[in-house]
This record gives sequence, C-alpha cells and structure tokens, in this order.
Amino acid sequence: MTEPIIKPDVMRISWGPQHPMSGQTRILLDVDGEKVHKIIADLGFTHRGIEKILENRSFFQGIIPIERMVMADTTNIGMGYVSAIEKALNIEVPERAKWIRSLMCEMSRINSHLYAFGLQAEATGYFPAVFLWTTVDRTILLDLFEELTGARWSYNFILPGGVHKDFPEGFQAKLIKGVEYLRRRFEDYWEAMVENAVFEARCNGLAVLKPEDAIRLGATGPVLRGSGIPMDTRKDDPYAAYPDLDFDVITEPACDVMARTKVRYREIGESLKIMEQVANEIPEGPISTKTSFFVRSKPAEVMSRVETARGELGIHMYTEAAPNPYRVKINSPTLRNMYVFERLAELDEILMADIPVVINSIDPWYLDSDR
Amino acid sequence: MTHLGLLRAVAANSFQFSRTDAGFIAEAFEAVVSFILNLPWIALEFLQVNAKPLTQVILLPGLAFVLVFAIIAVWFERKFLARAMLRVGPYYCGKRSGLLQVFADFLKLFMKEIIVPKDMDFMFFAAMPVLVSTLPAMAMILIPFDSNWVLWDIGSLSLPMFFAIAGLAPLLPIFAGWAANNKYSYIGAFRVAYMYISAEIPLVICAAAVAIMAGSFDLLKIVEAQQGMWFAVPQFLGFAIFFLGVIIESERTPFDIPVAEVELVFGWRTEYSGILFGFTMMAEYVLFQAWTLMFITLYLGGFNGPVLLGMTTASHIFWLLAKFAALVVLIILIRCVFPRLRLDQMLNLGWRTLTPLAVLNLVFVLALKVLGVY
Amino acid sequence: MSLLKKILKPFLVVAPYVLRNGQTVAYPTERPMFSERFRGRHRLRLDACISCGMCARVCPCNSIQLVEVPGMEKKFPQIDYQTCSFCGYCVNNCPKSSLVFTDLVEFATTDRKTLVYSPQRLMEVPDIKDVVPMLKYRTEKYLTDTEKKFRRVKEV
Repeated sequence: MTEPIIKPDVMRISWGPQHPMSGQTRILLDVDGEKVHKIIADLGFTHRGIEKILENRSFFQGIIPIERMVMADTTNIGMGYVSAIEKALNIEVPERAKWIRSLMCEMSRINSHLYAFGLQAEATGYFPAVFLWTTVDRTILLDLFEELTGARWSYNFILPGGVHKDFPEGFQAKLIKGVEYLRRRFEDYWEAMVENAVFEARCNGLAVLKPEDAIRLGATGPVLRGSGIPMDTRKDDPYAAYPDLDFDVITEPACDVMARTKVRYREIGESLKIMEQVANEIPEGPISTKTSFFVRSKPAEVMSRVETARGELGIHMYTEAAPNPYRVKINSPTLRNMYVFERLAELDEILMADIPVVINSIDPWYLDSDR
Repeated sequence: MTHLGLLRAVAANSFQFSRTDAGFIAEAFEAVVSFILNLPWIALEFLQVNAKPLTQVILLPGLAFVLVFAIIAVWFERKFLARAMLRVGPYYCGKRSGLLQVFADFLKLFMKEIIVPKDMDFMFFAAMPVLVSTLPAMAMILIPFDSNWVLWDIGSLSLPMFFAIAGLAPLLPIFAGWAANNKYSYIGAFRVAYMYISAEIPLVICAAAVAIMAGSFDLLKIVEAQQGMWFAVPQFLGFAIFFLGVIIESERTPFDIPVAEVELVFGWRTEYSGILFGFTMMAEYVLFQAWTLMFITLYLGGFNGPVLLGMTTASHIFWLLAKFAALVVLIILIRCVFPRLRLDQMLNLGWRTLTPLAVLNLVFVLALKVLGVY
Repeated sequence: MSLLKKILKPFLVVAPYVLRNGQTVAYPTERPMFSERFRGRHRLRLDACISCGMCARVCPCNSIQLVEVPGMEKKFPQIDYQTCSFCGYCVNNCPKSSLVFTDLVEFATTDRKTLVYSPQRLMEVPDIKDVVPMLKYRTEKYLTDTEKKFRRVKEV
C-alpha cells in the first residue's frame, strides 16, 4: 500500500470498499491505460476474531459463530468443525445421520455455486436475467431447508453426535420434486448464459492458470479443478456418507475463466445426482448418538478437512481437559485463492475491464478469508 | 436602459407625440398601458400565425414528446426488465402498477443535495447533463413526422445537419468526465472517446449509402423514396450496421462500456448527485429516441404506411410511432439477453467488422444505382 | 453458423420469461406461511417454566437472563433480541418445553430498549393483523412445472 509507484505512467486505483461490485474488500490495481501491472489485495476489512470467539464457547455453542463465516455455504463449514470435535471426543455417528449430513452439504454446495454463477453474470454486465434467476432458484433450496431445519441459512442442524431431527413427513417426495425442477432450470442457464456469444467473447481465454502454476501457488476448489487437476476432498479423504455415494470429480482442461464457470455448472449437476441418491436410498436408523451439551474433552490435537464450495477448508483443533477448545485454527480456501489472484496479473495479461470477471471466477467470500 | 429604449421605439412607431423631456414619461406610460390593454388581441394574433410550429414545439416532436417518452420508457423498461428477472418491478406507487414511480423518483432527486467536491470545475460540470439531455432533442426536430410536419424544414440538408448536431453529443461526456476530477470519471471519459470514434464512421457511411439510393440529402425525400419498398431490404447490411450503431450511440447494453457499473462505479456519471444525476439518466433515453427515429426514417420507411380511416396526417404519425414502439421493445429486450462487451472487443467490432461492411454496402448501392435498378 | 446460433438462441430462451408472473410475495398485503419448524420469535409459558436456568446457560450469545416478575416468586427468562441468533438451543434444552418458537418475525421498532423482551411480553403472541395492519392474505408456495408460485390460502 505504501510502496512508491516507480513507473511514471502507472495509476493506482483503489477498487475499493466503496464500489458497487467490490464486495467487502479493497484491491489496489496498478493500471497503465487498461492493462493491469500489479494487483495488491488488501484484505482484513471484516475480521471478526472468530478463532478467538471459539475459544470462549463450548463445543456445541461454537457451531453458531463458525457457521456465520460464509453465509452462502454454511453447512460445509459447520461440517468441518463438527468433524473435528467428533475426532477429538471419539464420538461415533450413525449411518442415517451421515446420509442426512451429506444431503445438507450438497444442497449447500448448490446454493453457493448458484450464487457464484449469478455473480459471474453480474460481473459481465448480464445483470437483468441470470443473477435474479439464480436468486429465485436458491429460494427453492431455502424452502427445502426451512422444512427440514427451521431456518433458511443458519441451520444449526449438524451437531456433534449426529443431526438434530429427522426428516419431516413427505420430505423425500419434496426433495425429488425440487431436484426435477432444478434440473429443468439448469438447461436454461446453459443456453442463455454459457452458450451466449457475448459471454464467450468475454470469458474465453481470460486469466489462464496453468496446472503447474496452480499447484505451485496453492489454488484450491474449482480454481484448481478448472486447470485440470482432479483434487477433491470428498474423494481423497472421505467423510460423512461420501464413500457410499456415486459421483464424479469435475475437471476442465482449458484453464481460463470459462473453464471455472463450467466446473461450477457441472458440479451443480453432480450435487443434484447426489441429492437424488440420498432421497431414494437413505437407510433407516437412529439419527444421533446422545452427547451431553456440556461435554468435556481430553487433551487432543486433531485435524479435519472438508470440501466447501470454494475449496478445501481445514480445521486444526487443540483441546485440553475443558468444555471449550483451547485453540482452533481455520484454514480458509478464499485466502489461498486470493493469493493466486494476486499472481494472475504476472502470469497472464489482464485488462482493467476484466477484473470483476476474473475475481468472480475465483469466487471469493471475504468473510471467509478474514474470519 | 434598453427596456426604456424599446418603449421609446414602440412609442415612436405607434403614437405621434412631441418629444419633450417632461412629456416623455407620460408617453412611455401611455405606450405601456396601451400594450397591456391590447395584449389579448396581440397574443391571439401571435397564436394564429404560429399555430402549427407551436404545436410542433410543445407537443410533437418537441417538449411533450421527449418528456412523455422519457417517463413512459423508464417505467416500461423497469417493468419489462423486472418480468425478465421474474420480479414485479415498481408496484406500490400508483395503485399496484407503479406508474407514479417515475414521478416519485424525480421528486426525490430534486430534493437531494448536489455534492460538490473540492477542485472541481463546477460550472462546466453542472452544465453538461443539461446539455446532453437537450442536444439530441435539438437533433430530433429534423425528423419528418408527415409530409408537412417537420419542425425545422431546412429542405435539402437535413441529413448532414442531424449528424452535425448529434455528433456533438459524444463531446459532452468527455467534458463531464474531465471536469469531475475523479479517476473513475476520467477513465469513463476516455472510454467514451474511443467508443464513439469507432462507431460514428460506419454510421455515416451507411447514411451516405441511403442518401445515394434516395437521390437526395433531404429526409423528407428519403422517406418518400421508400414508398415502394423500405430501404432495409436492398441494404440489409446497412440495416444491421445502423441498428448496432443505434445501440452504441445511446450507450445501452451490450455497449454501455463508458457506464460500466461493475468496473468504474458509474463512469463519467460518477460524481453527479441530485437532479444532475436525473438529467444524466434522462440523457440516455433522449439519445436513444433521436437515433431510433433516424433509423426508422432511413431504413424502415419513416412514416409510410397504409392510410387508416382517411386521415393521412394522423395515420402517418401513428405508423411512425408504432414502428418506434416496436423498436424500443426490441432494444430493451436486447438489454436482457446479452452481457457487456469489453472496450477492445467493441473497438475491434467497429473498426474491423463494421467499417469494411459499411464500405461494402456503399459499393453495393453504387452498383445498383449505376445498373439503373434504382 | 454456430456464432449466429449463439446470438439468437439466448433470445428464444429469455424472451418467454417476460410473459411469466413475478415470483414475489406482495408484502405487506400478503405474507407467506412458514413451516412448522420455523424459528421465529420465542414464546414462553409461565406456568410450565421451572426457573432451572438451562436456557441462560446454553445460549451462545448470552441473550437470556433470568429476571424477576412482579407477582410471582420465581425468576423467568428475559430474551434480548439485539444479540439473539435464533439458534434454538434454548428451545431444545428446556426440560419442560416451556420456551417454543412462533413464526413472528416483525421486530422493527424505533426504540432499541424495546428489543429486550420481558417474560410478560414473551408470554403473549399478538394476532398477525395487529402486527401487520395491511395484511389481507396468507400465501403458500408450491412448485409447478415451470415456476414457483404462491397461492392464497387464507384471508385474514
């Protein structure tokens, strides 16, 4: 920020917090005409001290703050924390609870990917149609969540030991109906947006991230899979019911913005497949092992990782003989992807008009990187 | 002092009194009183002589047409876009239809404070929105709505005159962006400059092709030459190019690069607040109106159409407005369907695609003319 | 030809949307019906509460405090909605189920102190017509082949 600008033609623009499209962050661009020389991401505007808050809450109470890290995708993050607690306390989770957890994780993933899709449309100027279609389609999922858990985005449903309540009556039929509806809408997105001549002209060949650069810089999530590398925590290190479910890891060979958009699009299709499998094949059984609210842990050090919509989230927890964890370290995917974003200006030529498109292909959520 | 001189001249022409200093004030007083007493008759005579131009200036295509179109177009665009987005649009103002929403927004903008940052050239800055809303309206007075309903009938040079007036329109956003002393406005102003340079040239070449085919620069004669067949049919290339040109000139998506909200807060309109902002929003619609009417006049036959109910003037005006409404709906639909092009892609389009095609169109028209088909 | 198809196909997909209905609920004349598990404002039954203080202990936001109520000798919970996150732990862990959720979500007020709901206020659940005076219909959502619609279920 305080580095002197050495080249005389270069203007430093603050694509900053007071901007219609920047989100809750400031990105400094060194711009010469239209070409961007350097990107400096100035994160930290929304730091809330979640890791410190978690030290002062018991295990059950800590789920509330950590779910509010990413509002579009709360289940996956809660899943990471609860997996860590269960490893630390040696709690076994019954089968039906695992399947319900996978279902909620996939619905949350569709939620987040639809939102990212809509933001990508808005970034290219396609505000009228696609962004609000995604909002409307997300309300279908939010209604399903409301039937199941009682809240629309902060579910507080995945608790250590299992899930809170069972399916209400007729929920499986509603799930299947929702899946069919979303599949029909799905084709509309492909034809109206991805196969649109102007959208392709904007996104093809932009911000290419080669596979070796993606691995070297530490990309994760759809950014990594859009460069052709098939890494997905659901297959590499399975949790919940993913060993029993049948789905593919989506990669795309072209490493540009269009490839990442297509990866997110196809992942929505895979998540719909998983939702259908859960609705049809879920086993019967208990839904949780009884765990006391004021459970005390023994000294332990555990790590757990989950695949959120933005990438891989890691939780490193250190507990002592207390009702609260001693230290929780959250490794967020957005922070790693923002590092990749800063280097993109050196790897490939980006114009200033492309900055919103490229940022939304990384799909950052700044509360996630600032915690 | 000049008012007194005027009164003295009036007195000298109407009354023969002796011009002494003492009686001068009595003279002037008499002149004024007699003017006021005769005022109704003077006004009536003025209205009788200038009836038609006054109707044209106030109603069509003057003040009322521009303002009413801006109001209806804003309402229609908001509702149309809302339906494409599966929303409802303005709903509560005006008995669940939202018709009064435009007035409510306008009133709100009047009551807001106009923020003037330091180091800004305020006179320049404040003059630009007013000019950019009224300049295209000035260009619109050349369009013929009927054989004898042209507000400014300069005969044989109306086509170049339109381009001369409407071609000044791009300069104003550049001035506004520079006067605002803000990085975003500055970048927006330069984008305007790039865009319009590349877009005007194919437009002028296509208009020249139309003038050649019609045999004259007079807009009225161009419309009359299309009574058999609209010029859109033999000049399909020119039709497509001019259609794109209409969208580019009125700065609408997919070509609203100077006002790209997601990149440069609002381009050259960033620093405007209050009623000046209202004017910049209106400017988009007035430009749109002027260029669409020109497009209809050049390619879609102007006011030609079958005569309804035996009233030629009214049916001609009706056909022109019907074509205009259809085009407005189509251009608003295009906004729903396409995202925004980047500046270098738009410049490529203008220089590498549109200009050669426009020249090809011109050559084709010349060939048709030489071979005697037209 | 593929370029032409990519320019024309979006028109055919987007244009029919203009003819559809808007999918908005016209609040405040209509209000949706929420599901049974919906977590809105709390409701307290004073005769069932045993003042164990469990709700205050499990609340992660420290929003519940036990206060005195004039005329009764036990202490009852007071909920501060400035910090409540509607997580539902107090409802889950209440041994006598005296704290339950309703579907009231209208909290807006002009004075911040009124957001601290005393036990007497938590006891009463006002009629929906008093809270939203312009309300005429309750709507329910359902899915058709092409869209999500709202049908008017109840007149208020």
